[in-house]
Amino acid sequence: MLKIHNLHASIDNKEILKGFTLEVNAGEIHAIMGPNGTGKSTLAAILTGKAGYEITDGTVEFNGENLLELEPEQRAQAGVFLAFQYPIEIPGVSNANFLKAAVNEIRKSKGEDPIAPNDFLKLMREKMALVEMSKDFISRSVNQGFSGGEKKRNEIFQMAMLDPKLAILDETDSGLDIDALRIVANGVNKLHTKENAFVVITHYQRLLDYIIPDFVHVMYDGRIVKTGDKSLALELEEKGYDWVKELEIV
Amino acid sequence: MIQELENILPTITDEKQKASLQKAIALGVPSMKQEEWKYTYYNKILQQGFTMQTSKGFETLSTFAVEKEFLDANSVSTNRIIFVNGIFHNELSSIVNHPKINFWNANNITESTSKDFLIELNNAFASDGIFMEIGDHVIVEEIIEIFYINTSSTNIINLKNKVKVGKNAQIKFVEYFINYDAQPAYNNVVTDIEVAEHAQVEWYKIQDGGNGYNITDNTSVTQEKKSVCNVATLSFTGAISRNVLTFDVNGERAESHMNGLYLLLNDEHVDNRTLVNHNVANCESFELYKGILGGTSTGVFNGKIVVKQAAQKTNAFQSNRNILLSNDANIYTKPQLEIFADDVKCSHGATTSQIEDSELFYLQARGIGKEVARGLLVFAFGAEVLEKIKHEKLREKLQQRIAELLKIEL
Repeated sequence: MLKIHNLHASIDNKEILKGFTLEVNAGEIHAIMGPNGTGKSTLAAILTGKAGYEITDGTVEFNGENLLELEPEQRAQAGVFLAFQYPIEIPGVSNANFLKAAVNEIRKSKGEDPIAPNDFLKLMREKMALVEMSKDFISRSVNQGFSGGEKKRNEIFQMAMLDPKLAILDETDSGLDIDALRIVANGVNKLHTKENAFVVITHYQRLLDYIIPDFVHVMYDGRIVKTGDKSLALELEEKGYDWVKELEIV
Repeated sequence: MIQELENILPTITDEKQKASLQKAIALGVPSMKQEEWKYTYYNKILQQGFTMQTSKGFETLSTFAVEKEFLDANSVSTNRIIFVNGIFHNELSSIVNHPKINFWNANNITESTSKDFLIELNNAFASDGIFMEIGDHVIVEEIIEIFYINTSSTNIINLKNKVKVGKNAQIKFVEYFINYDAQPAYNNVVTDIEVAEHAQVEWYKIQDGGNGYNITDNTSVTQEKKSVCNVATLSFTGAISRNVLTFDVNGERAESHMNGLYLLLNDEHVDNRTLVNHNVANCESFELYKGILGGTSTGVFNGKIVVKQAAQKTNAFQSNRNILLSNDANIYTKPQLEIFADDVKCSHGATTSQIEDSELFYLQARGIGKEVARGLLVFAFGAEVLEKIKHEKLREKLQQRIAELLKIEL
């Protein structure tokens, strides 16, 4: 599904990704771990098309298509979703209007008619239940006045509404208490199928108690330095990241 | 123009009108050299060839038929007062009938004490307007809509409104400036609103006349104790629009609200000037003007709060926020505070920014194309002002109109 090969990218002439390679197949859950400043969020931003990064080398293919050539909205329409580390507040735009615009723009890109209002409401109610959102949420402005936990739940809710093929969760667990963490993880697990894939970026092993990854990658200095199964996450939790830095030098 | 006014002067018989015309001639046409006209070129309106409408031209266009569908589509109420080319149109209007609501003689010109060319011009040439007195304790539920319909008039159309709202009375108005056949138009409107004790007034101005529509508006509000008055000015399409709004707060515990939204996407020029005089203690005023400027449009905001020495414990808040959508749009903003009392809470602020890239990216990352995403964000920026519009039907109508202008679906 996703093939990243030898990706080099920089921002303001500073190289952040230094030969990042990763392949993700349908049905898989990948966890990317690593200390601050190793390029995890940069990777998420580049995959979703945020401006300001320069790709100096490497390729990214998504279902056979060159992802790097697409506009951010085209990537979303193709089925790439990013759960933001810092979701943006949009005062004045209700969650309902925001998501209706998103759902309909994606449908339009596939040559489909706009969703019927009743079907849309039904879909919203169904997906809201998944992340335990209260009813007043529909009419509230996007993320405005939301607590940190509510914002992250809203990201998972949006993911549920848009039903992406590839979801990238950028530190969705940071700032969550244990209940919110359970709700978020539960949402992800319910949405996970054989047809879609998840890339979960996290600092901590604790999220991986709830979302069981097929692969755990350790990222350091702009590339993956070690790959293992879920036991690698436990090892990191125990030993910290210092030994990884040494690995990189070897 | 002054030459034209001098030629008309001998033909005016009414002494008060004559006095106003003489004052207008002496004051002269507004010039950009005057501080309060620094950014608005009044002659640009006159250059479009408008001439004065003298009494000979005051004929009811009874033959003029506005399609009922047109009015219904543009209306949120059954209370409609319709002026066609500056003259009240009886057949098209339907006005609330109540023994304690009086309509006065429409030619009730009074002596003017202003120092303003446009107010004097209006006093000398007003063709019509609403002169209305709402008795004490009268509550008019249904909003009163005033339509200024213009159809192929090359005249400067002067309308003069005076509304006296009695004690404990409640009333709402909305003015629409309509260009019926897309010809240039110019309305010079003066409105005086007197709000008695405990009375509540909402007044909305919707300026969406389209290409070539010019408006100069002077609205003055006086408020007595514990009254509430809310004036909102929304400008979308038109040529030049200049709105002078003055509040004189003369009774304690009165509340004044001034809201404005100018959403200008082409080459419109909107100049909003507000002045609130806090003359007595314990009053509050709230002001929020927001501007969205695209194309080659220009916005001007000048908001002044004066707190007199007697006006202790005044709370006065003013905010003007703008976003620029294009490199060729302009905004000139100037908030002013003059405080002569020492125990007050006052704030003012003005900001000008652009659409945040991070917000735009967030929407794009959800599959929303750049244009729609921009439209949604602009809509969101303006929504704060719309929320101040208490009349639900009107608010929804305006939301739809803004969505249409921004090419988004709600």
